[in-house]
Amino acid sequence: MIDVTTVRALHPLEIRILLAYGPGDIIDGQKVRQDLGFREGQENQAFSWLAAKGLLEEAGRNIELAYELTALGKEWHEKGTPEARIMAILAEQGPLSLPDLAQALGFDQKTVGSAFGALAREGVCAMNDEKKASLRDARLPARVQALAALLSKAASMGGMLPEAVLDQDELAIMHTVAKKRGAQDAPFRIAERTRVSYRVTQQAAEWQEAVRSLGMTGEELGAITPEMLEKGSWKHGQFRPYNVQVPPARVIPGRRNPYVEFLESVKDKLVSLGFEEFDGNLVETEFWNSDALFMPQFHSARDIHDVYYLEEPTHAKVIEEPYLSRVAAAHEHGGMTGSRGWGYSFDRDFTRRLILRSQGTVLSARQLPKAHIPGKYFGIVRCFRYDRVDATHLSDFYQTEGIVLGEDVNLRTLLGFLEMFATEVAGAKEVKYVPGYFPFTEPSIEVHIRHPVLGWFELGGSGIFRPEVTRSLGVEVPVAAWGIGIDRMALMALGLNDLRELFSSDLESVRLRRSQFKLQ
Amino acid sequence: MPKIEVNERLFFQLAGRTWEDALELEQSLTTAKAELDEWDRSQPDDGTRTMKIELNDTNRPDLWTTAGLARHLRTYAAGKVPVYPFFASPRKQLEAHRTVRVERSVREVRPWLSGFIARGPAITDPVLRDMIQSQEKLAWNFGRKRKAVSIGIYRTSLIEWPVRYHGVDPATTSFVPLQETRTMTLEQILEEHPKGIEYASILKGRPIHPLLSDAKGRVLSYPPIINSADLGAVQVGDSEVFIEVTGTDYPSVALAASIMACDLYDMGYSIENVRVEYEYDTPFGSTVVFPYYFQGLASTTLEDIARLLGTPLDLDAVLTALTRMGVCAYTENGSVIQAAPPEYRNDFLHSVDLVEDVMIGHGLQAFEPARPSAFTIGRLSPIEHYSRKVKNILVGLGYQEMIYNYLGSGRDFAEKMQIPTSSLVKIANPMTENYEYVRNSPLPALLNTESVSGKASYPHRTFEIGKVALKDPEANYGVVTRQYLGMLISHAAADYNEIASHVAALLYFLGKEYVVRASEDPRFVPGRQVEVLVDGERRGIFGEVHPAVLEAFGITMPCAAGEFDIEAMM
Repeated sequence: MIDVTTVRALHPLEIRILLAYGPGDIIDGQKVRQDLGFREGQENQAFSWLAAKGLLEEAGRNIELAYELTALGKEWHEKGTPEARIMAILAEQGPLSLPDLAQALGFDQKTVGSAFGALAREGVCAMNDEKKASLRDARLPARVQALAALLSKAASMGGMLPEAVLDQDELAIMHTVAKKRGAQDAPFRIAERTRVSYRVTQQAAEWQEAVRSLGMTGEELGAITPEMLEKGSWKHGQFRPYNVQVPPARVIPGRRNPYVEFLESVKDKLVSLGFEEFDGNLVETEFWNSDALFMPQFHSARDIHDVYYLEEPTHAKVIEEPYLSRVAAAHEHGGMTGSRGWGYSFDRDFTRRLILRSQGTVLSARQLPKAHIPGKYFGIVRCFRYDRVDATHLSDFYQTEGIVLGEDVNLRTLLGFLEMFATEVAGAKEVKYVPGYFPFTEPSIEVHIRHPVLGWFELGGSGIFRPEVTRSLGVEVPVAAWGIGIDRMALMALGLNDLRELFSSDLESVRLRRSQFKLQ
Repeated sequence: MPKIEVNERLFFQLAGRTWEDALELEQSLTTAKAELDEWDRSQPDDGTRTMKIELNDTNRPDLWTTAGLARHLRTYAAGKVPVYPFFASPRKQLEAHRTVRVERSVREVRPWLSGFIARGPAITDPVLRDMIQSQEKLAWNFGRKRKAVSIGIYRTSLIEWPVRYHGVDPATTSFVPLQETRTMTLEQILEEHPKGIEYASILKGRPIHPLLSDAKGRVLSYPPIINSADLGAVQVGDSEVFIEVTGTDYPSVALAASIMACDLYDMGYSIENVRVEYEYDTPFGSTVVFPYYFQGLASTTLEDIARLLGTPLDLDAVLTALTRMGVCAYTENGSVIQAAPPEYRNDFLHSVDLVEDVMIGHGLQAFEPARPSAFTIGRLSPIEHYSRKVKNILVGLGYQEMIYNYLGSGRDFAEKMQIPTSSLVKIANPMTENYEYVRNSPLPALLNTESVSGKASYPHRTFEIGKVALKDPEANYGVVTRQYLGMLISHAAADYNEIASHVAALLYFLGKEYVVRASEDPRFVPGRQVEVLVDGERRGIFGEVHPAVLEAFGITMPCAAGEFDIEAMM
C-alpha cells in the first residue's frame, strides 16, 4: 500500500510522466519533451525523483553527437552567411574591392578573403580588371543555401541539432563548418551528450492508479501569487502539496547572548527573593576594595601579585569622611567598633591607591552607608585578578555578591539564605555548611551543594560582617554578606568547559550556542 | 592560603587517632577550616607517605603545622585543653640559663627577637622536614614574606653563649652563608646570593643591618636573609636546637616562637627558656623570658552569642564548646564570658571571634537554618533595566549580542583603533601585555570578532552592552565607569546608510529626539561619520569604520559601527 501523503507530495512533473506512460515503456528526455512539452532540464529532475522512488529504471545510455549553434552561428542565421551577404551587396552596389567589401559588411579581411575565395572557386564571383570583386551568377550556390537551411533548422530546435535528425547531405555540409574546440570562428560546435533512457517499472502501475484515484493531474497550483489572489484563480484549482520533510534553509536571527541571559536570569531570581541590585566603578581604591573590609594593609591577599594597580592616575584625590578616619581607627586600635584592631599604623596614602576592583564585596561595603534597614542588596559585577588566563582563570570575570541588613540577621538566618540560594538559584538537592574564613566576616560559612549534574561543589562563601566593617561605615545592625560562584553552573548550562568561552569572540560559535539552564 | 604537606604517620600519631577514610578526615578538618587537598593512598604506608592540606584561616598560623593541626583535632575530639608548662607570662616569672642580648643598634631596623631551646629525641627526617616547613610557612604567610617575622634554627652545641643580636655595617661585615663556600659581605649577599636577591627589599637602603652572632663573634645568621654555613645548619640526628625569631611586629615574633615551642613539645621535646635582654624597653619589659604568654583575655556575653548565632546557648554549652577549641573560659557573673586564648593563638580581635569559636566548638550542624522574615522589595538597577530595553530593540533589528573581557592589549585597544594609548586606563603591574589596558570602548572587541569570524555567514550584526573606563581628571578617581553600547554591521554592502537607519530605529523606540553633527574620529571614514546629539549633548558616534582600522584588524569586509553612552541617555 502506498502512503497517500507520499503520493500527494509528488511533483507535477512526476505526475505527468506517471499518467502518460505505463510499465515497460521506454522513455528518454527527448521523448518526454516532445510528448509532454517539458522544458529542457525538467525531464532530468523528474527522472531522478522517479528513479529514487523506484518507478523508473535505467534502460540504456548512449553517447550522441549534437551540433550546437555558436554565437557566430546565431549571427549568421539572423543576418545571413558571409557568402550570402557578399553576393547580396555585389548585386546591389556592383563591383567592390575586397577592403571595401569588408568595410561595408563589417567583416575582417580574412572572413571576406575566404568567403570570396569559395565563391570564386564555384564560379559565382570573380575579380575584374579593376581588381574588384564582381558577381557572375546571381543565384546562391546550393552549398550556401544548404548551410542557411541548417542554421534555420538549428535555431528552430533551440540551437541544438542532434546527429540523428540530420540526413546525409546535411551531415556533409555540417562536417565542413562544425568544430569541436575553438569554435568561436565556426557557426556550430560539436557537442557530445549522454542520452539515458529509462524503463517504467512494474511498481509504477500502483502509483499511477493512486494518482488517478486521487484525481491528481500535475496541473495543481504551485506558489500562491498576488495575481492568483486578485483574480481568485485559486478557486478553480487544487494546491500542490509540498514535501514538508525537506530540511528548511538556515536563517540567522538577531539574538541575545546566552551567557548574558544566564546572568540576567540569576539577577531576576535574586530580585524575586527581594534583593535590590547595586552597581559601581571598575576602578576603586584600596580603601573600599580592602581597608573598609577590615583586611589589614599587610594582608597576603593584598599583594602586588593579586591586585592590578593603575599606572596613571595612581591615587584618588580624597576618601570620604568620616569613613576614612573610622576605618583607620578600626585597623589601628579598633576605634569605636569594640575591637582591639590589627595594631599597626594605617597608611593613609596607600589607602587612596587606585586599583581595578578585585572583589564584588567592594560594592557591598559602598552600599552600607546608604542602605535601608531592613535591606537586601546584590550585584553581579566584573572583577579583576592578577591571574594567568586559562580554562579555569580569567583576568576579568563576574562575581555575584550581596548583603542582608536587619535586626534578625544571625547565623541561623544566614544559613536560611544560603539554603534559599542553594535550592532556588542553583537547584541543589542537598546542602552542607562548613566553617569558612574571610577577613571581613565572623562567623564565616562556606556552603557546599550537591548539584543534580555537577555533584558536590562549593557554591559560595558567606558570613556576618565584622563589626569593624559595619560600625565604621555607620551600620549598627548585623549584616550578612554572601558571594556565590555561578560560573560553573553557567558553563554547564551552556555546554562549555572553558571559562574563556563565556567571553568568546567567535561569532559562529556564539550564534549556535544554546542554553539549557532552568532556574527553579 | 597556606598549603602544607604533612607526614601521615606523624600526623596521626600526634592527633592520637587514625583515619581510614578521606571523607571522614575531610569532615574532621572542617573544624579547622582546612581542606584535604591530596592524599595518595596507593603509595606504600612505610612512614614516608604524606598528604597535602590547605588551611583557609589566615589568622590561625598555629594550624599551618603538622603538630598544630593535629593538636586542634585532638583537642576538639577530647574536649580537653592541652597544658604547656614552659611559658613565662606577666604573672609568671621563669628562670633561663641561656641569654640573647639585643643591642640598641637593631632598634630601627628589626627590633624584636624571641627564642627557645628544644631538647629531646634525635630529630628524624619527617620531624626535620616539618620544622623547616613550619619555619617557611610562618615566615612567608604570617611573617609577610619574612618582613614581619623570620625564623632561624641552629644546633645548640655549636653556639657559645650568650648570643648577640646587633646592628652592623653591611659593606664591611662578612661571613660564609648557607649554600656558599666563600666569605661574602652582607651587601654581596643581597646582590648575589639567591636568598639575598629574594629578600633584599626588606633591608635595602638601611645603613645598619641586623646580625646574630655568638660569644666568640661567629655569625649565626643574617636575619631575615640567610643563616651562616658554620653555625646555621641543622640535620637529622641532632637532638638539641636553638630557635630564634626576629621581626618588626612584636606580638607576631613572640607568637611564632610560641607556636614552634608548642609543636616541638607535642612531638616529645622539652622546651628550655631563653632570656632576651634588650638595651631598650619593650611592651613586654626590657628583659623577657621566652616562650612568653603575652595574650590578654578575650570576652563576650551569652547575650552576644545568642544574638549572633540566633540560638540561646547555656553557660555549660558555651564553655564546653570553647574547651573543644582549646580555649579556657570562665565567668564571674554568669553572663560575661572571659576567655584565655591558647598560648599558640592571637586571633581574638573582637568578641565575634570568640563567638565563632563557640559556633565551631558547638558544631555548626547543631544550628538549623531559619527563614528571615523581614520584607524587602527587590529591583534591578535602573541601568540594568534600561540596558535590557536597548538589547531588545537591537535583537529586533537582527543583532547578535556579544560579551567580552574588559582587559586587553594596547595594540588592540589603541594602535589598531588609530588612537593614542594615553586615552586608556593602563595597569601598572600587568601580568602580560595581552591584559594591560582597560577598554574605553566596546568597538575593538566587536572588530576583533570580525577578524576571527570571516567564515561565519554574512551579514554580521553584533552588539555589546558593557562597562568602559574613561579618564576624567575632574573625577575623584581620575577615571569614570560608564555603561556603553557598541554596535557593528559587516557585509559586502555595509555602509553609513544602513547603520544610520538602525540608529534611527533604536533612538525612535528609546523615545530620543536626536540630531547628528559631522565628526572627525580617526576610527571612522572622514565624511561618513557623525556624532549623535541628544538634547544638545554628545551621546554617541557612528559611521563607516576606517579601512586603516579594518586593515589593522585583518578584516577584508566593510564594517559600519557605532558606540553610545547609554547611561547618559537613560
